[in-house]
Amino acid sequence: MSGIRQLFSGRWSFPGVRIPVGERAGLSSTAGFLALVVALFACAPLAAQAGSTVPNAVPPEGTYSGKDVPQPIEFPHDIHAKINGINCMYCHTYARRSKVAGIPPTSKCMGCHSVIATDKPRIKQLTEYWEKREPPHWLKVHDLPDFVHFTHEKHIKRFVFDNPELPVEQVSEVCAFCHGDIKDMTVAKKQKPLTMGFCRSCHEANNGPFDCWKCHK
Amino acid sequence: MSLDKMKRREFLKVLGWGGVGTTLAGCDMPTTVTVQEGEEEVVAYLAPEEYVIPGIGVWYATTCAQCGSGCGVHGRVREGRVLKLEGNPDSQVNRGKLCQAGQASLQAHYNPDRITAPRVRRNGQLETIGWDQALALLEEKVGPSSGLAGERFAWVTDTVSGHQAVLLKAWMEAVGSRHHYVHEAVNDAVWRAVCRDMLGDENPRLRIDKARVILSFGADFLSTWGSTVQNSARYAEFRTAPRGVLVQAEPKMTVTGANADLWVPVRPGAEGVLALAIANRLAAEHGRDLSKLPADVQQQVRAYDIDKAARITGVSAEHIARIAALLNERAPSLVLAGTPAEGHARGYDNVAAAMLLNIVLGNVGKTLESGAGFPFPQLAAKTGGNRELLDFAAALESKSFDVVFFKGANPVYTAPEALKLKEKLAGVPFKVAFTQFEDETAQQADLVLPLRSMLEDWGTHVPTAQPEQMLISLQQPLMEPLYPETRGFGDALLALLKLRKAPQYAAYDDYYAYLRNAFAALPATLKQGAISDQQFWTRAVQKGVIEVGAGSGSLTARVAAFTVAEPADQGRPYTLVPSAGANLHDGRYANLPWLQELPDPISKVVWDSWAEMHPITAAKIGAKTGDRVRIESDHGAIEAKVYIYKGMHPDAIAVPLGQGHEAYGRYAQGRGVNPLKILGLATETKTGELAHHATRVQVTRIADKVGDKLVKLGGSEAQLGRKLVATVTADVYARTEGEA
Ligand code: SF4
Repeated sequence: MSGIRQLFSGRWSFPGVRIPVGERAGLSSTAGFLALVVALFACAPLAAQAGSTVPNAVPPEGTYSGKDVPQPIEFPHDIHAKINGINCMYCHTYARRSKVAGIPPTSKCMGCHSVIATDKPRIKQLTEYWEKREPPHWLKVHDLPDFVHFTHEKHIKRFVFDNPELPVEQVSEVCAFCHGDIKDMTVAKKQKPLTMGFCRSCHEANNGPFDCWKCHK
Repeated sequence: MSLDKMKRREFLKVLGWGGVGTTLAGCDMPTTVTVQEGEEEVVAYLAPEEYVIPGIGVWYATTCAQCGSGCGVHGRVREGRVLKLEGNPDSQVNRGKLCQAGQASLQAHYNPDRITAPRVRRNGQLETIGWDQALALLEEKVGPSSGLAGERFAWVTDTVSGHQAVLLKAWMEAVGSRHHYVHEAVNDAVWRAVCRDMLGDENPRLRIDKARVILSFGADFLSTWGSTVQNSARYAEFRTAPRGVLVQAEPKMTVTGANADLWVPVRPGAEGVLALAIANRLAAEHGRDLSKLPADVQQQVRAYDIDKAARITGVSAEHIARIAALLNERAPSLVLAGTPAEGHARGYDNVAAAMLLNIVLGNVGKTLESGAGFPFPQLAAKTGGNRELLDFAAALESKSFDVVFFKGANPVYTAPEALKLKEKLAGVPFKVAFTQFEDETAQQADLVLPLRSMLEDWGTHVPTAQPEQMLISLQQPLMEPLYPETRGFGDALLALLKLRKAPQYAAYDDYYAYLRNAFAALPATLKQGAISDQQFWTRAVQKGVIEVGAGSGSLTARVAAFTVAEPADQGRPYTLVPSAGANLHDGRYANLPWLQELPDPISKVVWDSWAEMHPITAAKIGAKTGDRVRIESDHGAIEAKVYIYKGMHPDAIAVPLGQGHEAYGRYAQGRGVNPLKILGLATETKTGELAHHATRVQVTRIADKVGDKLVKLGGSEAQLGRKLVATVTADVYARTEGEA
């Protein structure tokens, strides 16, 4: 029955083995223990987590120490979102309309950068892409398995647009629930586990839907 | 819990429960493997199209080209990829529904075995070349400079319709050839011939919805016979109150048979006798007047009273009487005859006897309506059967062709071994296959030209069975071609035409331009309400169909001469039933894993062939489910695992069509057996069709079930006390009227 095997041998294989944090980082067992202690500390003081300032919301619990992902252009989220205070949804414009937030099209970058900071090396790099008529091939940092249905639209609606006490200017604090302190990063790095337990903790605390098929459909 | 509140001993205790993972889970750290970062690319648009929102699908209309039924399709496109198909509710052919083959056309499109560039045979091997070279080769071999007379060219295709058919015909005329063979291994050719002779219309509309009782001699109209999605919609109406009654008589239970209220196993080939006996009973018991029928037909009807017929057909006299009573009581009725009735030396006569019942019962004009009056005959579907295959092979025998083109049909696979088609094809100097896949026929070709998938191509289709409002269905590409070195079939035909008649077709850059022009040339009556040709076109593309009127015409009811023959049963002990199923059809869908994985509705077997037989037969052979048997005809043998089922006539052995591919990609190749290979070459007397249900076989058990099991869904056929189907004894029912 090789056909059956071929059908099911997708990218997702779940060996059923839990990978402890230490191993994930490739540390020795002592170092693994240390990492564990650090991890325990990291999730202990809840008050230190971003997002606790969002009214009418309890942020999901959990942290994760993602690896550095080298991107074709080292995009500085901090300069855009923190220093210049640009709203996340200005570039990730589909987040409030669709299941995916969307990587901004190159034309959007060029909307500003045909005049702003044109002499900076990263912008020169970007301009090269634009002139070649070729969008950069970014690497995915946040992803979910195909059997999970997640929609940005519904989450933004619940925590931002249906939450009059949160000014839309502060949307980044809601984004931070799942994406961590992107505002303080250059290229994004995964800071939240995005596991089912992580999602559940938030759905539980905020009275989110709890049917299996809400996410697994 | 935080570490400062936790004593060291407690901490160790926690660790002791289940290692690090459990501890971390308690603190909401990853409890499953998370998706890796930085592994996949995500590429944004360079500049987005206004209305495109990533993550949100847009539905577009097109047409299913998987078979000749021409169902309308809505396809969901997201980020430039087509992801899901549904039926187009605007098409009256399928009214928003789609069969499994239509659904699985996605897998023909994304199939990893698609041919991505032209290939040419050099030193016996197929080598990849560019289209420039391919066209230059075509110019040399089939252009005017080839110096070949028109009659030296032939085409073998499956059902074609619409503007592709027009262009193909134009090419045939341009070179001066008449040899277009439309070959469909699963067909209703004999039914069509009988309809032509007795109703004056070879393709009448079947008003299943209007019938109050249907008697079908093996016409599997819900699954493989005719326009199945259209039939199914009508069947749903037939079954709504007042509920119509379905009676199915056939040697092997089909999906339609499984839906019947009364299913009767008929001895293979005895369908005609059964029909005559029903007519006999209608006259003898219910006073139906047969005196207007031709004398020899009356005589035949008289010859088969129900007792005699019971002995010949294996259907009990009681059942025959009941069927006759049902037909007499409930009007209008509809009598159909399908593949198992057709596929004998006297198949025509079997079908004619069934049609006689329609005439006797007054169904003509009621449940059988004229399908005539489609205003564009040049676009109408051109379909065929196995006779074309036999004719083609005969022509090859006499070395009639120098160039043969193939499209859609796979005759090397569907031809019986006895026809020696492969050997005969070797004598054709230049063979061209237009195809998406390297199937058995393409493997014999000298030039293989890769086609676009149905989801990448333009086209028009005219359904083989038109609904009441006749229509032309439009096919548009739902996404960019996956492989730039493929061509649309219409474009390929245009290229061929340009080699021959450059001035007339030079104006069209591509098939799209040709279609635009053809639509502009449609009569103004069709364009009412549109302010311009552009708007008419846009609307047609958006809706997916254009309706062209109700058609006109009426049927005659004339009893053609026929003589029913009793089955002779000579030679080997069993009759082979090469049974078609909706999953693999004639084998063309065998490379689509969804359809391989979809269990056969009767046997529940997946990814394999099987030999289906009645328990009595199995006992005679000494075989149990899963045992391997050898099925041998005069022309070869196949081996398959046994599936025992009561829905069989004990004289018949059924082997499903569709498997046993020697090529056709990783999902199809080397799986199961092809029963067509061992068929004899006997033909139907009146139509010259292949008598595909008349091959006699010997069956011997050769091995126990070991290791390689018959893989089927649903390990048991018993309910195991689960009360899946509630039953009540006749006794209790009589007392309680079913209220218990
Ligand atoms: S019946 Fe034929 S045309 Fe209709 S969906 Fe099925 S394969 Fe496609």
